[in-house]
Amino acid sequence: MASLRGQGLSAELPPGFEGRVFRRAAAVGTETYPVMHFATFPIPENTADFGGGVPVAMSPTDIFAVLFQYGPESLGKALFARVGMPRTLSPEHFKPYLLRRGAPGQAGTQWFFTENGKPFTFYAVLGSSVLATSLVPRVNRLLAGITITPPAPLSAAAAPTTTVGGA
Amino acid sequence: MLAVVVVLIAMVLLLGVLVVGLLRSHADIIRALHSLGVGVGDPAAGDPSGGVETPVALRTNPALLNPPLPSERNSTSVFDLEGRAPGGDELVVSVSTAGETLLAFLSSGCTSCQAFWSALGDPAQRALLPASTRVVVVTKGPEWESADTIAAKAPPGITVIMSTAAWSDYEVPGSPFFVLVDGEAGRRIGEGVAHQLSQVADLVGRADVDARGPFASTSAPSRAMAVGLNGAEREQANDEELRRAGIHPGDPSLYPRGLDDVFASTAHLARPGPEATSEPVSTPTPQR
Repeated sequence: MASLRGQGLSAELPPGFEGRVFRRAAAVGTETYPVMHFATFPIPENTADFGGGVPVAMSPTDIFAVLFQYGPESLGKALFARVGMPRTLSPEHFKPYLLRRGAPGQAGTQWFFTENGKPFTFYAVLGSSVLATSLVPRVNRLLAGITITPPAPLSAAAAPTTTVGGA
Repeated sequence: MLAVVVVLIAMVLLLGVLVVGLLRSHADIIRALHSLGVGVGDPAAGDPSGGVETPVALRTNPALLNPPLPSERNSTSVFDLEGRAPGGDELVVSVSTAGETLLAFLSSGCTSCQAFWSALGDPAQRALLPASTRVVVVTKGPEWESADTIAAKAPPGITVIMSTAAWSDYEVPGSPFFVLVDGEAGRRIGEGVAHQLSQVADLVGRADVDARGPFASTSAPSRAMAVGLNGAEREQANDEELRRAGIHPGDPSLYPRGLDDVFASTAHLARPGPEATSEPVSTPTPQR
């Protein structure tokens, strides 16, 4: 099982998944936060944070998922009131109207939550809602392997990361 | 007469001295070997000369050897790639997410690699490879390569991963080196060295043909195989399939004198590029 770790996040990838963790370059006066991409197909270079048009090209048996971290200003907001990342999803959680941008027949789900003092959203797309029964267990195996580490102590976290990652 | 006798005696004495000298030299050699522990007899009996009494240990330099391969591995085993993109992203590239993945093991410094860095960034040359084949460039990790140098060379749109472990997993002997993975079958179907992208395209085409059979994309499975024909019926069915494929009695491919004769009838499957050479770059990976 391949391991992906970086930016305070880690994931044990189930067979057939690949992934990337990155942090975009920050503009002056702003700060960026980590993003994780997971897919059962080759992830194109320069994929947008939430996939952009990538899911449109997915095959019916494919899965695309994103773990996106928000800044500390989001902590305590009602949207992030849920504590802990969902670890077990069911096919009913995936709806076509939850897609940010997708193709007919696909289905998506999105969850906002706070874990270990960090606010996140988890977004996943299934290539075909008809195959949700077989695809959702694979999403759950992916979720089971994701670990969010607590923020570093304040002194170490004081210097914002400006490393260029992804695109 | 007396003179002859004297000469003979002198010669016998001379030869005797030579023989004694040789025997003594031989004894010295045997004694030296014995003192090293490889002599005849019981070395444990001791050596008055003070030589070692234990056999010479044959040792290998661990620094020169790679760790032994796990028993479950063989030369067609495949591995996902864990590493870092030149831009700093952490990456896991799965070789099972695409039908075919071509792993191009390149270095920033090797002269032969320069042609591939530029060719993979040239859409015209990239088109020599089948569009369905995913290309992943694999360099050694940041401990061996400069990420900035690799980033400057990285072809746009192609995944580049820096992973020393991948070089070890795929037992890469040097760069440039290419490995073709069949993601659906989960095995390596070809690997080898090339000097031009057209040669790699040739490798990919031939590995496809070898892995899937020359008729894989043009005909249904052999009727003879499907229904289990034998004898004359099977021969007739095979003849019929050959005729349908355009191979008639006397076709050179039926009497191959070399690989070119065999592949001449399947050249349309191999997608040779304009610079393709007639020499095979590599043979598909054998089962170990």
